[in-house]
Amino acid sequence: MSRPAVVIAWLTVLAVMGFAAVTRLSNRFNEQQKALARHLYERGLAEQQAGQPEKAVEHFRAALSYDHDNFQYQLSLARALRDTGRTGEAETYLVSLWERSPQDGAVNLALGRLAEREGQLDKTIQYYHNAIYGVWPSDPDQKRFNAWFELIDFLLRQNAKPQAQAELITLSASLPHRPELELRVADLFMRAQDYSNAFLAYQRVLQGDHGEPQALAGAGEAAFHLARYRTAARYLSAAEAQNPEDSQSAQTLEISKTILAVDPFGRGVSAGERLRRIRSIFEEGGKRIDACATSSVNPNPGTNPPAVSPLKANWLDMKKKLARLGPNGESGLADEVMDLILQIEQQTESCGATPQDQALLLLAQNRAGVEQ
Amino acid sequence: MSMFSAPAADAPESSPLPVRKKAVAFPGTTLTEERFFLVLAVFIGIFAGLAVVCFRLSIEWTSIALLGPTPEAHTLRVLLAPALVGLLIAALVIHVFPQVRGSGVNQTKAALYIFNGYIPFRTAVGKFITAALAIGSGQSLGPEDPSLQIGASLAWALGRRMKFSREKVRLLAPVGAAAGLAAAFNAPISAVLFVIEEVIGRWSAGILGSVVLSAISSVVIVRWFLGAQPLFRIPPLTGVHPSELIAYAVLGIAGGLAAAIFASGVAYLRPRLRALPRATLYFQPALAGLIIGLIGYYGAPQIMGAGYQAMDQAMHDQFTWQMLAILAGLKILATTLSFVSGTPGGMFAPTLFIGAMLGGAVGGVERHFYPHLTGTTGTYALVGMGVLFAGFLRAPMTSVFMVLEVSGDYSIIVPVILANAFAYVIARSLQPIPIFDLLTRQDGLELPSLEEQREETILRVEDAMRPPPVPILDSAATVQEANQQIELSPESVFLVRLRPTGWGSIARDSLKRFASEGKMEMTLGSLLPPQRLPYLHPDYPLEMALRHVHQTPLVPVLSRADFLKLEGVVSSDDVLNKYQVPAT
Repeated sequence: MSRPAVVIAWLTVLAVMGFAAVTRLSNRFNEQQKALARHLYERGLAEQQAGQPEKAVEHFRAALSYDHDNFQYQLSLARALRDTGRTGEAETYLVSLWERSPQDGAVNLALGRLAEREGQLDKTIQYYHNAIYGVWPSDPDQKRFNAWFELIDFLLRQNAKPQAQAELITLSASLPHRPELELRVADLFMRAQDYSNAFLAYQRVLQGDHGEPQALAGAGEAAFHLARYRTAARYLSAAEAQNPEDSQSAQTLEISKTILAVDPFGRGVSAGERLRRIRSIFEEGGKRIDACATSSVNPNPGTNPPAVSPLKANWLDMKKKLARLGPNGESGLADEVMDLILQIEQQTESCGATPQDQALLLLAQNRAGVEQ
Repeated sequence: MSMFSAPAADAPESSPLPVRKKAVAFPGTTLTEERFFLVLAVFIGIFAGLAVVCFRLSIEWTSIALLGPTPEAHTLRVLLAPALVGLLIAALVIHVFPQVRGSGVNQTKAALYIFNGYIPFRTAVGKFITAALAIGSGQSLGPEDPSLQIGASLAWALGRRMKFSREKVRLLAPVGAAAGLAAAFNAPISAVLFVIEEVIGRWSAGILGSVVLSAISSVVIVRWFLGAQPLFRIPPLTGVHPSELIAYAVLGIAGGLAAAIFASGVAYLRPRLRALPRATLYFQPALAGLIIGLIGYYGAPQIMGAGYQAMDQAMHDQFTWQMLAILAGLKILATTLSFVSGTPGGMFAPTLFIGAMLGGAVGGVERHFYPHLTGTTGTYALVGMGVLFAGFLRAPMTSVFMVLEVSGDYSIIVPVILANAFAYVIARSLQPIPIFDLLTRQDGLELPSLEEQREETILRVEDAMRPPPVPILDSAATVQEANQQIELSPESVFLVRLRPTGWGSIARDSLKRFASEGKMEMTLGSLLPPQRLPYLHPDYPLEMALRHVHQTPLVPVLSRADFLKLEGVVSSDDVLNKYQVPAT
């Protein structure tokens, strides 16, 4: 063999030996670095849980300096950075992670939260959707649903109700039969003011557990908003029985009962009773005007006190008409009375509303749609 | 060599352009020395890469062992480690490895120009140990320059017994240096440029090939073991609006001033500390370490060591501009102290650190007063790195490419070039001698200053040539015709245009002799020897003419576009006269 060939052979052997030695050294080094990184990461996690994100950032950063490519450390650091308000740097880490794994659910969720924090609506929705349909290594369903709930919550906070309702309908269609998830969905339907879907969702929960107090209250509230006061009263009564502390349900129940008690158009109400109820409602309206007129202090500062004189004049006109009305009086006058009541309640709203007033207002608004 | 160009297709046979040297078989094989050197360059890169991986691991281990995994202020180890390790380093430098002081760049350059490329292997070992201890213990120095020297020393160790020509032996050190620097920086282009710009000082295909091969192979090795990620993360960079260039120009000015202060500090303190009694040499690194430890203890541990993590943080808006300015100032102080105390370690990383902090600070101030500026702290920090590199290390080309290579973003090239140009000019006017030249002169060596060389006026053939003697004879002319043509000319030598290409010359006496010998009807072409005259082009350096004027009384200077067009001639007297007169 020629001399250069021998030299090259020797150099190759030396290089292979050197490579093997450095590989061993480097492996040992990497093991130590990884162990150190794991230790620092755990410290960071503990600090994050203890509400010390600044310290957590330092330890996550140190962990990452010893284990550069660790996905979890980068993600945790990005989250901690976001929690400390360093969104720019958090984004750098997250974007780098996203470039490595664009389908990763956790990364997309973190990016969505970051975009949400920065008020970027479109990006937020895009990243949340990526997270919902992304890859989650463990417990994927629960994490997807959580991301979905977060997105809906975000949309509702942004007052993007149609988008929130669309998400909720899709979500409820893919939801397994798990009462806690259905209850959450139902609550979100309520927040999205999609009362019919909310009512259905609560009913689904109640199919599994008839006495679930939150579902009873929710179904009652939903029925109430749908002007199904009889149904509302039934659910709310059951809810009150289950949870007497629930003041919200109690108040709604009271209004519902009041509506049912004074509704002149209710099923089975005789003509005489209808006239009596109309007159009673009418008298309540008059009292409402007087109370508001004599109120010395405007209960809602910042709003103009209502001009009650024209209302009073209308009321007096109507009183004359009503006095002439016999027990079988024309139904048109009943509608006129209800219109006047609606007008009174709306214009005196700033004087403060009792459950009775709320009931009258709702009755006047929904007189045709009230459940019979 | 690089001044040669490929000959034109119709170039005369006697072209002086030895475009490719004749391949000389390497002893015992058909492999030429040139090719074997390229193969060796790959091995040099591999071994340098392996050495640098070990070096970086050693620094990490030392740092964790001495300063802890996360160096924090107000801890005793941060205060004491640099000082205590400084004592050990001093003892090692004085008694075991006396050649390892300093950064390693000058030593490599000295090896190239004075010791035929020789850097003892012991120096590499010493540099490895002492620099790892120094950087790992928190001395404000970087691993790049020592890696450069380690690479150069390894290259010598590998190539010394190969029986290369002297030219190739001298090249071993720069080839190893490029490999070492590329591995340390994880940036092969910058390393190649730096070595060519600052160590070798000239370009040629032969040099470039081996330097690039070694740099690439070392980077591959480092990335294999340590990963491909850069030393610090680059934030998303914003495009630069032309109106914002003023802001970057201001950064260039600030960087030039900072570089001059930094260089002046080193230049002032280094000889004074070295002039102190020998016994103090045992304590100088420790004292520097103690001051650095105090800085770290009282709240700025970021300045300890190479500082890449702090650079990363600076680029991601982790510090206020006030803190960035403080860190830049403290790093200048700490690095100056570490370096002048004779602690082995490099200046590259500290330079980048100072640049990043200064850039971030200047950017912060500018954005405070002009909030419409769109450049992020990261952009300013990155440009700042290049600025200090250009101003302090005086490597303008490397500084630009370094920023581009590290950032991977071409969009900031304009601000980088602008700011670097300002920094370079200002630093040069305030500190005329570049830092590495200054250090070699302080060491009593006179190495070629590449910055000075760059600006030397080059004498060219056109500066010495004169109009050709008339008449110009043609090879088809007979002796009789030629004698008639030269009858009235006072010249003694005449040029002959040969067919189809090339030039020859003939003396008046020769023509007379041919006539007396009865060759009146013979053509000049048939009488002249077949060899063509060597020729030159007007843009050739004048040294080229020196190689030929002793062979022939007149050397034709030809147009590059037309080899039959004579631009002038040069003679030995013309060349020598020109060297005695300053070029215009």
